[in-house]
Amino acid sequence: MASHSFKTAFRSTIFKKFSMALTGLFLVFFVLIHMSGNLLFIVGPQAFNEYAHALVNLKPFIYIIEAVLLIAFIVHIWNGLTISTGNKKARPNAYAQLKSAGAPSKKTISSTTMIVTGMILFAFLIIHLISFKFGPGFNPDPSYTAMMGEEPIRDLYKLVKEKFASPLYAFGYIFTMLLLGYHLRHGFWSAFQSLGTNHPKYSGLIYTTGIVLAVVIAFGFLVVPVSVYFKLV
Amino acid sequence: MAKGIKLHLKVWRQAGPNEKGSLQAYTLNDVSEHMSFLEMLDVLNEQIIQEGGEPVEFDNDCREGICGMCSLVINGIAHGPQKRTATCQLHMRHYKDGDTITVEPFRAKGFPVIRDLVVDRSSFDRIIAAGGYVSMNAGNAPDGNAIPISKEKADLSMDAASCIGCGACVAACPNASAALFVGAKISQYSFLPQGEPERDRRAVRMVEQMDEEGFGNCSNHGECEAVCPKGISITNIARMRREYLKGVIS
Amino acid sequence: MNKKILDSKIPDGPIERKWDIHKNNIKVVSPANKRKFNVLVVGTGLAGASAAASLAELGYHVKTFCIQDSPRRAHSIAAQGGINAAKNYQNDNDSVFRLFYDTVKGGDFRAREANVYRLAQLSTNIIDQCVAQGVPFAREYGGLLSNRSFGGVLVSRTFYARGQTGQQLLLGAYGSLMRQVDLGNVELLARREMLDLITIDGKARGILVRNLISGEIERYEGDAVLLCTGGYGNVYYLSTNAKNSNATAAWRCYKKGAYFANPCFTQIHPTCIPVSGDYQSKLTLMSESLRNDGRVWVPKEPGDKRSARDIPESERDYYLERKYPSFGNLVPRDVASRNAKYACDEGKGVGETKLAVYLDFADAIKRLGENTIRDRYGNLFEMYERITGENPYQTPMRIYPAVHYTMGGLWVDYNLMSNIPGLFVLGEANFSDHGANRLGASALMQGLADGYFIIPYTIGEYLGNETLDAVSTDDAAFKESEDKIKDDTKKLLSMKGKRSVTEFHRELGLTMWDKVGMSRSEDGLKEALKKIPDLKEEFWKNVNVPGSGETLNKNLEFAGRMADFLELGELMALDALDRKESCGGHFREEYQTPEGEALRDDKNFAYSAVWEYQGEGKKPKLHKENLEFEHVKLTQRSYK
Repeated sequence: MASHSFKTAFRSTIFKKFSMALTGLFLVFFVLIHMSGNLLFIVGPQAFNEYAHALVNLKPFIYIIEAVLLIAFIVHIWNGLTISTGNKKARPNAYAQLKSAGAPSKKTISSTTMIVTGMILFAFLIIHLISFKFGPGFNPDPSYTAMMGEEPIRDLYKLVKEKFASPLYAFGYIFTMLLLGYHLRHGFWSAFQSLGTNHPKYSGLIYTTGIVLAVVIAFGFLVVPVSVYFKLV
Repeated sequence: MAKGIKLHLKVWRQAGPNEKGSLQAYTLNDVSEHMSFLEMLDVLNEQIIQEGGEPVEFDNDCREGICGMCSLVINGIAHGPQKRTATCQLHMRHYKDGDTITVEPFRAKGFPVIRDLVVDRSSFDRIIAAGGYVSMNAGNAPDGNAIPISKEKADLSMDAASCIGCGACVAACPNASAALFVGAKISQYSFLPQGEPERDRRAVRMVEQMDEEGFGNCSNHGECEAVCPKGISITNIARMRREYLKGVIS
Repeated sequence: MNKKILDSKIPDGPIERKWDIHKNNIKVVSPANKRKFNVLVVGTGLAGASAAASLAELGYHVKTFCIQDSPRRAHSIAAQGGINAAKNYQNDNDSVFRLFYDTVKGGDFRAREANVYRLAQLSTNIIDQCVAQGVPFAREYGGLLSNRSFGGVLVSRTFYARGQTGQQLLLGAYGSLMRQVDLGNVELLARREMLDLITIDGKARGILVRNLISGEIERYEGDAVLLCTGGYGNVYYLSTNAKNSNATAAWRCYKKGAYFANPCFTQIHPTCIPVSGDYQSKLTLMSESLRNDGRVWVPKEPGDKRSARDIPESERDYYLERKYPSFGNLVPRDVASRNAKYACDEGKGVGETKLAVYLDFADAIKRLGENTIRDRYGNLFEMYERITGENPYQTPMRIYPAVHYTMGGLWVDYNLMSNIPGLFVLGEANFSDHGANRLGASALMQGLADGYFIIPYTIGEYLGNETLDAVSTDDAAFKESEDKIKDDTKKLLSMKGKRSVTEFHRELGLTMWDKVGMSRSEDGLKEALKKIPDLKEEFWKNVNVPGSGETLNKNLEFAGRMADFLELGELMALDALDRKESCGGHFREEYQTPEGEALRDDKNFAYSAVWEYQGEGKKPKLHKENLEFEHVKLTQRSYK
């Protein structure tokens, strides 16, 4: 066939959502791994620091993964912004009143605030990277050094403990992670729908999985700040 | 007959496509619960005419829920509060004495207002023109039973085909997306052997026409399914996406 | 009878060969010449959409006009039950001849044999065509097409798509039409209402339409005009027709010289949801299949105020079962309708307005269980509940007859051309195929046969034989007509009388329903013939049309249509008075059997009454097209 060009296809609403979905699911996978890694914090400083060290030394794969992550974030954020502005243009005159018609609608606070939660998450991401990845100890620093056997490694555990002692940081983090849960509550099943995989037999399962995953990820991320701030570890 | 209820209406009035519109207040003192919503507007119009005003224009035709010409967003919900019911079949027994009802046109860039509550939905015709059919000329069809089609597929096709083209999906969508309308049409043919030869072309052309008309992007809120007078499922939107991607790749 | 005035052009030869012989003899326009012809198609229902698409496929230049915002909304869309075709897929001995016979008999022997036979022949092609278009007809598990039975016939030949057959067939035709729009062969002009036919040198050469958005009068010239504008049931105000359905296009053609045939033949459908109040704007039909399991009754005692469930069995009158023991509740539409009226006339009507009878499913639910009934009629029960707020599983439905279809229409010959050369009339707008009563599931068949399979051939006979000089929209005929329309519009808008268009329409409707409705009498018709002209006079003095002519103005549209309904109503009464017999939907109280059944008079009235306009205020002239029956035997219908 092909009376079309890929150029048009790339700009199509469907392709935009398709790439949102692919990058979104990849990011879900990433945060799930990230969250699991975070849980090592409970095990103890040694396990946490060694895990972090192993991760950054997974060369050259770590660069590839980071590059892919970066691209995924850029695509996801850029598409999110253009979709959102496009949708605003699609209804230039707003309703005086617009309500949800109720079931079977899937419209929730989560689904209508994707762009808001997304933007906050983006802002958080930058602060998060500055605080941790590029924070103290990124370049060898004696006050943030732990030992792995003979080898000096970055003492990320100490940094985490310091950061989350601050109420602003701890509660900011907790709040943002709850927003992440909200984002995923709609985002997960929506990604499947955008990929075209809705089927009456499985869509219920996918929808429920999305909710469970959102809760698990959000609360998984809460473990560290809560336990640090309330001095549980 | 029992005395009817009193209603306060706030109706969108707009003199023309480029004029500024606003909500105007009216009161009806004796509305029978047996009236349909459109009959209530008829009564309002008779009242306005008696008072020397210009009646409210609103689209309607069959008044039995199948032509898809009636529209209206009633208290924030396209086609009003009753499930699987077009405005013309909504009856006043769903309202109480003293209720205030806000009536607005379907709003979307793809549906510009013509006057009052009347909007231009010709964008839907242009989307259909881009591929919502089987390209065959009259006179060269094989026997109707030449190609068996499974009952399940025929039923699914009919589910999608039952779309009345009213545009409530667009009106209710927070993004003013036409995905359910287009998805339903693409789906109808995707189940049938007759639709097969131009399946890819159809999906690509219809989706690209949809985009060109300025409809928003589907964010999977699912409001469309909830207001659809025929209850068409958003499964059809997912199917449209598959069909489109397949069409683009092949 | 004047052969020259009414040449039906029925081809010679045995009936089963007539259409083939005719096709062999008529002109075919060369592809190069087809491109040069401009065809104007008015209306986009089954007939109009299929005709416009098919002609464009052949290479003609087509402009198509519709009154709604999209061709897909034409009222063909509301047909529920199905479409007949003599496929004999059920092996139940169906045949083209049987469909032909059923249709002629169902029409009470007032239709042209040759036309009906051709319709039956083409019925099979329609199904093939629609399946190929992707119409999702109901199917069996084996994958083959499913059929259901319909009233008045002994075989199962009705194809259907749930309760939305008309919708699906129309969307098929609309799809084909939109494909031609995409290819540039059809120019689609929506929200346009035809206001006049332009004849130049006695031939149809153009139309005037109002652009319903801007109010402008637009001129279109063409080499042929196809009128596919449906029926005129809305003359009764309350009918199952859509709000925009009207007679204006046909009526203005009549006033330009086109003959109007059998205007009094209207069909009243027995199972509609009754009127609930004065504000009522239209009536909703429910498929007559309900009568398969529902029992019709009224209380024996007039004025009984008890609710249905409080009336004991012994005090109920199941009048159809009592009067027609063998057919019972399944008598034909006209018989069922008339008897409901009689019951209500006797004061036995039920509900608030006393203009309804019960259709009771209690016995069927007891016998078959609620689930079976839900499977069979669930959609209809839901619709009933949505409209009335009553649950028909618990209380009996209230039903009443409503105007549904008009068999009469503009006169056409075998080529579907009216007496004005170049003006073709298709579908419900013409008079040709259903006689005095239409069988269920036959309207869709006729619309599509006309559009897909007849007009593409027969238009060639006209365009191929005529030399048509180019005409311009600057021609005096256009201007003259436009001036008249503008004058009328000005008059309507400036009158600022005391009564709205709707009030006039309601009043006309009541008169039509009472006097020219289900049951007609000489006295009543004469009364109508006095009342209607009076109402017309008042209308032109006292109507109040708000707004201006330069914007969308529905009241102005309706006012114009109303003016025509007033004149058409008078012609209907005149025709009904003139036909001193009862047949099909036309029941004259003076002409009935001792048992109260319709009594035909084949000796004196086996003709189509064809009326010719004679000018304002003059009585139209009657021409008669005699009907000859060679292949069916004229019999008295009996349903005892």
